Amino acid sequence: MEKMNWKACALAALAALSLLASCGKNEEKAQASASPLPEEAPDGKYPYKRLSTYGFFEGELKALYPAEEVVFYKPASSLFTDYALKSRFVSVPAGEKASISGQQIDFPTGTILIKNFYYPADFRKPEGERRIIETRLLIHEADGWQAYPYLWNEEQTEAVLKVVGAETEVKFVDANGKDQIINYLVPNKNQCKSCHNQSETMAPIGVKIQHLNHALDYGAAKENQLAHWQEKGILEGFEGSEAYPAMINYEDPSQSITDRAMAYLDINCSHCHSAGGPASTSGLFLTFDQSDPLKLGINKTPVAAGKGAGSFTFDVAPGKPDESILTYRMRSTEVGVAMPELGRTTIHEEGVELIRAWIQSLPQ
Amino acid sequence: MVTTLFPQTQNTMRKSLQTVFVLLVSLAAFSCGSSTTEQSFDSSRLTRMSQEEVEKVVEAFILAEDSSTIEIPEGFYELSTQLILDNRKSVTIKGAGMDKTVLSFRNLKSGGEGVKIVGNHITVEDLSIEDAPGDGLKAQHSDGITFRRVNVTWTNGDKSKNGTYAIYPVQCKNVLIDECIASHSKDAGIYVGQSENIIVKNSLAFGNVAGIEIENSDNAEVFGNTARDNSGGILVFNLPGLPKSDGKGTKIYDNDILNNNHENFATPLGDGPNGNTVTMIPPGSGVVLLAAKEVEIFNNRIHNNKTTGVAIASYQVTGFPTDAPNWSPYTTDVFVHDNSYERKALSIPDLSRELGQLISVHNAYGPAKTQDIIYDGIWDTGLSKTIDSNPMRVCIQEKGMENLHFTRFYLMDGEDNIESFKDYQLFQNCKVDVTTDVSALAGL
Repeated sequence: MEKMNWKACALAALAALSLLASCGKNEEKAQASASPLPEEAPDGKYPYKRLSTYGFFEGELKALYPAEEVVFYKPASSLFTDYALKSRFVSVPAGEKASISGQQIDFPTGTILIKNFYYPADFRKPEGERRIIETRLLIHEADGWQAYPYLWNEEQTEAVLKVVGAETEVKFVDANGKDQIINYLVPNKNQCKSCHNQSETMAPIGVKIQHLNHALDYGAAKENQLAHWQEKGILEGFEGSEAYPAMINYEDPSQSITDRAMAYLDINCSHCHSAGGPASTSGLFLTFDQSDPLKLGINKTPVAAGKGAGSFTFDVAPGKPDESILTYRMRSTEVGVAMPELGRTTIHEEGVELIRAWIQSLPQ
Repeated sequence: MVTTLFPQTQNTMRKSLQTVFVLLVSLAAFSCGSSTTEQSFDSSRLTRMSQEEVEKVVEAFILAEDSSTIEIPEGFYELSTQLILDNRKSVTIKGAGMDKTVLSFRNLKSGGEGVKIVGNHITVEDLSIEDAPGDGLKAQHSDGITFRRVNVTWTNGDKSKNGTYAIYPVQCKNVLIDECIASHSKDAGIYVGQSENIIVKNSLAFGNVAGIEIENSDNAEVFGNTARDNSGGILVFNLPGLPKSDGKGTKIYDNDILNNNHENFATPLGDGPNGNTVTMIPPGSGVVLLAAKEVEIFNNRIHNNKTTGVAIASYQVTGFPTDAPNWSPYTTDVFVHDNSYERKALSIPDLSRELGQLISVHNAYGPAKTQDIIYDGIWDTGLSKTIDSNPMRVCIQEKGMENLHFTRFYLMDGEDNIESFKDYQLFQNCKVDVTTDVSALAGL
């Protein structure tokens, strides 16, 4: 039982500072140099060490121009990952098809979901110069989905499997013309499961019917992308867009605040905050179709939130966005407070504003 | 929706406080701000491991195969990513000793916990975990989990920076926590939540807000532990609105529950409680039951806890909503017997939390008297018109009961009509059978 005196306090602070300083020097920068890796052949034994070995892309790798059997897709709403832009592709093994049973898409063994994370040098010209940071593969192996993160080199000529994760500094000019620097974190392989998790089984997040059941511009024509998949011969059992739920894009200002908020919470939170997700411990379930106020966090006290609760009593205090734990955790970048726990080191200002508006709209 | 039984109207409480405030304020100097940053050993003497050695450990967790052992040699490992063992069977993670292998998560940049385990028949032993921003060591959805000689702590001088739970199995079956040390967590040191078949034994919890907590769990035995210098020593809670809605069956015996007078640092000093129930625990609490079911507390040494040795409370005292499916806010079927109590002279109950204020001001022995056992006296009036028939089945059988400070409160007519009684006789000469069976854990 001793009271901290100022000397001990100062010493601790010094120690902390010197630790910080020393770790700054040792910080691993993303340098996935391809040179020490031996050449490898596409022998079908996944995972390959190099992204190029899969042959997903034709021509220069960094152009991400898909090969014939690799199909571009886009969910209605996107999980916020530090403002990174994403391009996604699905590769279904030749001669096989994904199939829809009930409200779910089942993919055959050998299917690979390909997600590239990149930053344009200038967000006002998103098609201009860009830097690809990482490519995450979800491979449907015989015993289920497996996640493999690939880290791109500085020359943008190759990406290499890096199961232990990495961090790298990213600079860009944002949509308002402001210079931004982000300390981008590539998750380690097992961290992927922190989000891609349904009842402790690895599961994709975006390739669900409700996220894909919308029209996409394929250049020649606009078409429902699941119908497009079916035409391409990689999907069967799709009975037309009307037969299934469809999420809206939370960025679409023509939609209602409630629908946009639910779409936002679903794509950003529900992979953990659902009955089969890792955050089921909290009793806070944020799927788009949730209607139980308690499970939505309305006047619900937190459970294991620790400092994440701030000075607040309820997850969602109706009509009081600035007294709600939900927005408090969205507005924080402190590890242990910030939500989601992974994939975010910056604040998603537009997302916070949307959820604030939704909480404001709830009757007290 | 909020039940208006007791505290949330702080103003009225403040008024009634004023009458005894002058008396208390002079004594308060003795009881305020007790805090500790004590460490079990000095980890700074250990060799700092290289980046390659650290990555080897990260990789070992990722590539671990079933029925294997991950050995982590002596040294200080500074991790910037989480260690996650995912869906493995029969894996042992073994350090060179609690004071030899230290995994530090001070530089962790994302992730809810330092070490996370999912799997069956997993053992973690002989290592330390330091400074995780969230939780230290978490296991979830695991059947057969053993933590043995694991020390989880925070080394920050400013404890407001510390993480939530040190040792944290949740939604698990067959949990054994043995010879572990948990210190300085902002919530509970050893926290077992929404689990079944649990042993916590021969462990030490100190400097936490809550030492050991069993929450929404079934069939737990907590014995041979020392819970000292926390705000609350050992807690049994049931919280509403969780997938595992109500837990029952906990035995707490042969523990040393001492000097749990640490300031409650779950929220910054001076800030009141937030929605986390633990923020309401008054410093100076030995054992706290909240909405607990079937709990037996016996053969413990419950000494020098300045507010109360044992608190038996229903969830209504939090002032939070009490509507939730398959869950009851009442504490029922409690058997407290054969414990040893000591009250320190000159110690006075906590004034920083409403439960502490209630005890300070309204106990049956006069202002600022430390209590050995308090019962909030909240009962389900659907079962009985009065408490005289002991409708919540709270049985207290202590030797020398007449010399103990026992207060039963009456809180059900609002804060202007609080009453207190010494009538322990109502709760004597009865017995509650609490059944636990942890034989399934013998093989762990």
